[in-house]
Amino acid sequence: MLDLEPARPVDRGPTDRPVARLHDLRVSLSRNSRRTEVVRGVDLEIGRGEIVGVVGQSGSGKSVMSLALMGLLPASALPQVSGAVEVDGVDMATAPEAARRRVRRLDLGVVFQDPMTSLNPTMRIGRQVAEAAGSPAEAIRLLRAVGIPQPEQRYGAYPHELSGGLRQRVMIAIAIAGDPALIIADEPTTALDVTVQAQVLRVLAGLRDELGCSILMITHDLGVAAQIADRIAVMYAGEVVEEGPALGVLEAPQHPYTRGLLRARLSLETERGRPLHTGLTDAGALDPDAGTDARAPSGTEPATAVEEAVVERTTVSAPARSEAILRLTEVRCEFAVRDARGRRATLAALRGVTLDVQEGESLALVGESGSGKSTLLRAVAGLETRYTGTIDGPPRSDVQMVFQDAGASLTPWLSTEALLLERLRGRDLSRVERRERVREALDRVGLPETTLAAKPSELSGGQRQRVALARATIVPPRILLCDEPTSALDVSLAANVLNLIHDLRRQMGMTVLFVTHDLAVARIVSDRLAVMYLGRLVETGPVEKVIAEPAHPYTRALVAAVPGARRELPVIVGEPASPMAPPTGCAFHPRCPVMQDECPSTLEGIQLVEIGPRADVEARQHRVACVLRGEF
Amino acid sequence: MARLRFIAGRLAALAVLLLVLSLVLFVLQEVSDADPVASTLGANASQEAREAARERMGLNDPAPERYLDYVGGLVTGDLGTSFRTRHPVADDIGTYLPATLELVLGALLVALVLAVAFAVSSVLRWRGAGLVRGLLFLGSTTPTFLLGILGLMLFYRDLGWLPASGRLSDRGAVDGPTGLVVLDALLAGQPAVAVDALQHLLLPALALAVGPALSIGRVLRSGLVTTLDADFVRTARAKGLTERRVLARHVMRNSVNGALSMTGLQLGFMFAGALVIESVFSWPGLGSYLGASIPVSDFPAIAGVTFVLGAIYIASNTVADVLQGAADPRIAL
Repeated sequence: MLDLEPARPVDRGPTDRPVARLHDLRVSLSRNSRRTEVVRGVDLEIGRGEIVGVVGQSGSGKSVMSLALMGLLPASALPQVSGAVEVDGVDMATAPEAARRRVRRLDLGVVFQDPMTSLNPTMRIGRQVAEAAGSPAEAIRLLRAVGIPQPEQRYGAYPHELSGGLRQRVMIAIAIAGDPALIIADEPTTALDVTVQAQVLRVLAGLRDELGCSILMITHDLGVAAQIADRIAVMYAGEVVEEGPALGVLEAPQHPYTRGLLRARLSLETERGRPLHTGLTDAGALDPDAGTDARAPSGTEPATAVEEAVVERTTVSAPARSEAILRLTEVRCEFAVRDARGRRATLAALRGVTLDVQEGESLALVGESGSGKSTLLRAVAGLETRYTGTIDGPPRSDVQMVFQDAGASLTPWLSTEALLLERLRGRDLSRVERRERVREALDRVGLPETTLAAKPSELSGGQRQRVALARATIVPPRILLCDEPTSALDVSLAANVLNLIHDLRRQMGMTVLFVTHDLAVARIVSDRLAVMYLGRLVETGPVEKVIAEPAHPYTRALVAAVPGARRELPVIVGEPASPMAPPTGCAFHPRCPVMQDECPSTLEGIQLVEIGPRADVEARQHRVACVLRGEF
Repeated sequence: MARLRFIAGRLAALAVLLLVLSLVLFVLQEVSDADPVASTLGANASQEAREAARERMGLNDPAPERYLDYVGGLVTGDLGTSFRTRHPVADDIGTYLPATLELVLGALLVALVLAVAFAVSSVLRWRGAGLVRGLLFLGSTTPTFLLGILGLMLFYRDLGWLPASGRLSDRGAVDGPTGLVVLDALLAGQPAVAVDALQHLLLPALALAVGPALSIGRVLRSGLVTTLDADFVRTARAKGLTERRVLARHVMRNSVNGALSMTGLQLGFMFAGALVIESVFSWPGLGSYLGASIPVSDFPAIAGVTFVLGAIYIASNTVADVLQGAADPRIAL
C-alpha cells in the first residue's frame, strides 16, 4: 500500500552498526526548582531496519528518553545528561548544535502524538512537508506515498482542514522526508480513532519494509507495541526493566512489572466477572510529594510488591423488571457552526436517537469522534439544551456526570473538601453531618482524609478522577454519566477507576451511562452496548453478544481494530465523515465492505430492528440498523 | 467573501456609532452655555444683528428639526462651518489631519519596533533585555507630555541634537500628494528635507510611542512564550531547522494575534495622546486645531474632529481584526 522508493541511493553503511545507541543514559530535569532523575541508566540499541517498541506508563521516562535521542530536551528544564545517546555515531547530548541539527535533518524523522498540535496551524501542510523534503515536488511525492488522496490539492490545505488521520499522515510524510535512518514515533496513534489507528499503524509498519528505516515506537499500550514491534523494551521509573523479542515479552514476561502491565491491560478477552488487576500501584498516590507527577519515588524497586485489589466483583446484571429510568425519543441535535473555510454550516451531532435505559443497568455508548456520543450524554445531563425530541428522565439533581479530564473539571482554587461541601449546599444538614458525609464519600472512593485540604493541582491524575467521582456520588444520584473517565489515565489507574465505578454502582444501585471509544473498556463496565456512528445508533444489545457476534459492519470493524499481538488488523477504508456533511442513507456506506445498492438511499436501513431470538427483557434484545440485518 | 461581509458589518457599526456620537454632541451643544452667535459676531454686535444671525443659522427652529439638519449635513460630508476660522470644518480637518497622521504613524512604527525588541529580547534572554524593559517601564509610567518635555530638555536644550518644534525647519518647503512631509519630500526627491522632517518627527513620536510599545510588547512576549512551548515548534526543530528559521517561520506568525488586537486598541489611544503632545511640540495637527477651537466653543470644529477620530479608531481596530484573520487561517471573521 505504500508507494515509496528512496529518493536517493541509500548508503546505510555497515549493517551491523546500530542506528542508535543509548548507553547508561541518565537524564535529570528540573521542575519548580526540584531536580528529578527521569531517565536512570538506560541501555538500548536500535539495529538497522529494526522496530523497537518502548512501553511504559506516564512518568516512566520514555518520552524524555526520546527527546534526548533527538537532542531536544527542553532547555527550560535545565537538563543534565550523562552516558551516551548516539544517533549515527553523533552524541545528541554533547555534539555541537550544528552537528545535532544535521542529524535531525538527515537521519531522524519524528512522529508525535497529537497531529493537531504538532503541525503548525498557520502554515499550509505542503509547505510544512516541503520544509523537510526540500522541494514542493518531493513534498507531493511524500504526501502521496503516505496515502493522502489528491496530494496536489491538499498541498495548500491548513491542518485544521484535514481529518485526524490525514493529519497524522502529514506528520509521517514530514518524518520520512530525506529518507531517515531512524523514525521516532511517540504515541503516534493515541490521539486517533480506533479504525484510523489501525490504518496509521499499517503505514508505520510499511515504512520499514519500503524504506528499510528503523522505528522507535514509544507507547503506553502493549497491544500497539505488539502489533508492529520486533523487540520490546519495558520502562518503569526511568529504567528498562525488561527487554526482549516482542512475542517473548508478551507471552513469557520475566519482570513482575511487565506481568502487572499485561494483567492490567484490558482486551476483549479480559474476564468480566472479576475485579480488574490494579497490580501497578498509583505511584503518585503513594508519594505525597509527587504532586501532579505520577512518577514513582526514586529508589523504589519497581512494583515488585504486586498488590491486587481484593474487591469482590460480581456482574451486576440488569434487573429483570423492565422499567425505563431514561427514555429518549427521536433526539436530534444540530449546531450552527463555521466550516473549515469559515462558511456557515450545520453540524448534525445527533440525528434521531431513540433509546430506553433501564433502571439499574449499565449502558456503554461506543463510537468514534463525531459519532455524537458525548453530545448525547450532555443532553441527558441537561448541559445541552439545543435538541429536539424528548428526553424523559429523573430531575437534573438525580443525574451526575464525570468527565474525561478530571483535572480540568475540578475548580483549581478549591480544596477537595470545598468541592465536596459545595454539593451539600442547600441541604438541611448540620456541620457535623456535612463533615460526616464528606468523609463517607472520600472513604467510598478510597482516598485518605489527608486529601481533604489538597487542591486539584496537588493530586495525581488518578486521585483527581476519584475526587470527581466522590463529588458525583456524595449525594447518591440515580444516574451516573461517565464521559471517557479513564481515557486519560494509565492502564492501572484506569483499572482502578473502573473497579471503583463498578463498586459504586453495586453499593448505590445507580444506573450508569458510560461513553467510551474503547470497546475493551465498554465490555468491562457495561451490560449493554450501544454503538453510534455519525449521530445515529447502529447497533444495541447485550455487550458480550454484540462483541462476539457484531451484526453491523461498523461494529465488526471496531471489534477487529482493537490492536494486539498477531492480530491481523482489518482493512477498513476512510475515516468517519464530517458531521457537517454526513453521507445520505446509511452514513457508513462509503466505508462499508458489504455495501448494497440501496444503502446510499435507504430509510429502512437506518432504523434499529430486532434480530436474533426475542428477549424477555428489553435490555437483552439485540438490534441493528442495517439492511443486511447481520446476515453477511 | 466572509472577509468582505465582515468589513461591511464593521462599516455598518461605524455608521451607528457615529450617529450616536452625533446625538451626544448635539445634546452637549444644547445644554452648554456657549452661544454660537456670540462666537460668530463677537460680543459687541447689535441685538438685531444677533437675531438675524440666529434666524440665518436656523437656531430658532425646534431642536429635533435642527438635529435632523445637522445629521443631514453630516451624511453629505458637511461638518458645518467653523465659527472661528469661517472655513468649512471638513476643509480645516483636511489641512490639519495629515500632520497628526504623520505623527501617529511615526509613533506606531517606533512603538512596533520597540515592542518587538522588547518581546524578542526578553524571550530569547538576550543581553540588554533588562535595559530595554527597564527603560520602557520607566517611560510608560511617565505621563506623555512630561516625557515630551523631558525629551526636549535633554535632546534640544542640553545636547542640541533635535529640533524643538514644528514639522520642518523652514515651513512649507514641500507640497506633496500625501500631506505626510517625510513621504512627500522623498517623492519630490529631496532627501535632505526628508531627514529634516524625520528629525522633527523623532522626539514627539518617541514620546507618544513608549506607553503603547510596552503594552504591545508585553502581549507579544506572552504570545511568543506560549508558542515556543507548542508541539509544532518541537516538530520544526525536529526537522533540523535552525533556531532563527524556527522563530521566523513558525513562532512569529502564531504569536502575533494578541499583539495585533492590542495594536489596534493602542492606535486609538495614540490619536488621543497626539492631541496633547502636539501642543508640547507646536505640531500643526488636529490637536492644535482642537486646542484653538475649545476656548471659543467652536462646536462644529470640536464635533468634526471628534467624528474623524472616532471613525479612525473603529477603522484601525477593523484593520487589526482583518490582519488577525490573515495571520491565522482558523479565525473565521
